Amino acid sequence: MNARNEGWLYVGPATLFLFLVMLVPLAYVVYTSVTTASGDFSLASYQRLLSSDLFKRTLLTTFQISIVASLASLVLGYPIALHLAKQTPRKRALYMVLVLVPFWTSILVKSYAFTVLLGRVGLVNQFLSFMAGSSVQLPMLFNRFGVMVGMTNYLIPFIVFPVLASLLAIDQSLYRASEIMGAKPPRIFFRITFPLSLPGVAAGVLSTTVMSMGFFVIPALLGGRQDVMMSNLVDFYTRETMDWNMASAIGVILLGIVTLVAIAADQAKRFGSRPGVPA
Amino acid sequence: MSIIASRGVVDRQANFYGGVRNLLAAAVYAFILIPTLIVIPISLGGQGELSFPPRVWTFELYGQLFSSTSWMTSILQSVKVAVITTLASMLIGIPASYGLVRFEFPGKKFVMLLLMSPILVPVIVISLGLYLYLSRLQIVGTTAGLVASHTAYVVPFMMMTVMAGVKKLDPALEFAATIMGASRLTVFFKVVLPQLRPSLLAGALFAFLVSFDEVVIAWFLTSPATTTLPVKMYSSIQWDISPVIAAVSALLTVLSVVFCLISVMFQPQAATDSAP
Repeated sequence: MNARNEGWLYVGPATLFLFLVMLVPLAYVVYTSVTTASGDFSLASYQRLLSSDLFKRTLLTTFQISIVASLASLVLGYPIALHLAKQTPRKRALYMVLVLVPFWTSILVKSYAFTVLLGRVGLVNQFLSFMAGSSVQLPMLFNRFGVMVGMTNYLIPFIVFPVLASLLAIDQSLYRASEIMGAKPPRIFFRITFPLSLPGVAAGVLSTTVMSMGFFVIPALLGGRQDVMMSNLVDFYTRETMDWNMASAIGVILLGIVTLVAIAADQAKRFGSRPGVPA
Repeated sequence: MSIIASRGVVDRQANFYGGVRNLLAAAVYAFILIPTLIVIPISLGGQGELSFPPRVWTFELYGQLFSSTSWMTSILQSVKVAVITTLASMLIGIPASYGLVRFEFPGKKFVMLLLMSPILVPVIVISLGLYLYLSRLQIVGTTAGLVASHTAYVVPFMMMTVMAGVKKLDPALEFAATIMGASRLTVFFKVVLPQLRPSLLAGALFAFLVSFDEVVIAWFLTSPATTTLPVKMYSSIQWDISPVIAAVSALLTVLSVVFCLISVMFQPQAATDSAP
């Protein structure tokens, strides 16, 4: 049996298909970004981007929103991971459904729900008005706040999964030992639980940051004019101004940034999974 | 005596911190669940009524949804695209998952990277690439173009599930069958696939839902005649928030609950120890 090439029999069709429908289109984006409409090589679109205030502002906004949303989802997701880790396997499977249902729910359902919840006369403002006894109309939609709430809400499950995996890998005897030695819960958390969960935390934060950099639906539906992200700019140049070269250049830059972060994450993972750290 | 007393203090402290932890967790569970679940009571309130709980309970919005041709057409289009996408991605994804787990071959790293690229590359860049490429081939806006794109896009989602299943198989069974004279095809269809049934079902569900809910690629690649449900919802939320969207959302929430329960039932360990 020619085992050396037998694998290709199985992966061949999928590889050919993705080569044609994924790699070629991606290469076409790179090609479009460095050519003019007539097909000559040119870096003009990159030069135009770098001198465009709209692009610079969008790049900054994208970084700000992605990093803050990712950290916010870490802060909110960590208690859930901790709660799940303390359950018996049977109960954990049950509580896990509470994370999986939102995880499986369409982003459009959640975005729609947030337009109803956060609007000027939305349910949250109605509730606040009821509590305050006077009319409250906090602006929570079509601004940075709305984008942050929507994105954090979306990203939390993506934090919970890796952090939970790290927490479950912690040797339970460490907890017993520290309790016997008289450590109080906060000390156990900061000296054992949190440091040992760092590989999961790093994986979660990096992957959610990368994901948020490419967000499209939430900034478009819950944000205002100041919250345009890179994806929305690509959409704008592709469909509104039909400037495919500019759209492609932005796409290439976005791809470059995401690749760099992913490589950094991979290095960090290798560093984190060296012997001595429970994997 | 003093030991017992201090034991009591420790327990009380543990209870206190445990309580704080549970309270925080409960608040965040509520935060992630409320947007998903609240669309159900809203959809029963009728005519975009924005009060909670609804003053009247009615199925009027569902009536409007089912009698609206444009909404029903987009739902059917989404089902059609997702079903064909699921079948096509199984056709190429299942053998690929098996090949990647079982065999070493030249170029394996490249194949792995290529097949996983739809998850790694931002979806907006994929959409732009497909849009430019399909425009060039003059099939942008067709159902065939969208199905081909979705198939490539969902392959890694399906493969993650199937590869996990293949890793749990005992290669000795395949080896035994081969020694007994079974051909490669027989081994694959009679030995490998039957054992993989739960992972195949989970993978198919995953692929279906990813395609059914996918909005960015579809937003770039569909024309008004081939609009899918998520694209219709996207433009509806952006331009005219029709109250019917509440009924659509509620149905999608029910769908995701059902899918989630099925996937949990078929993968008891996967739901607790690792990300789906």
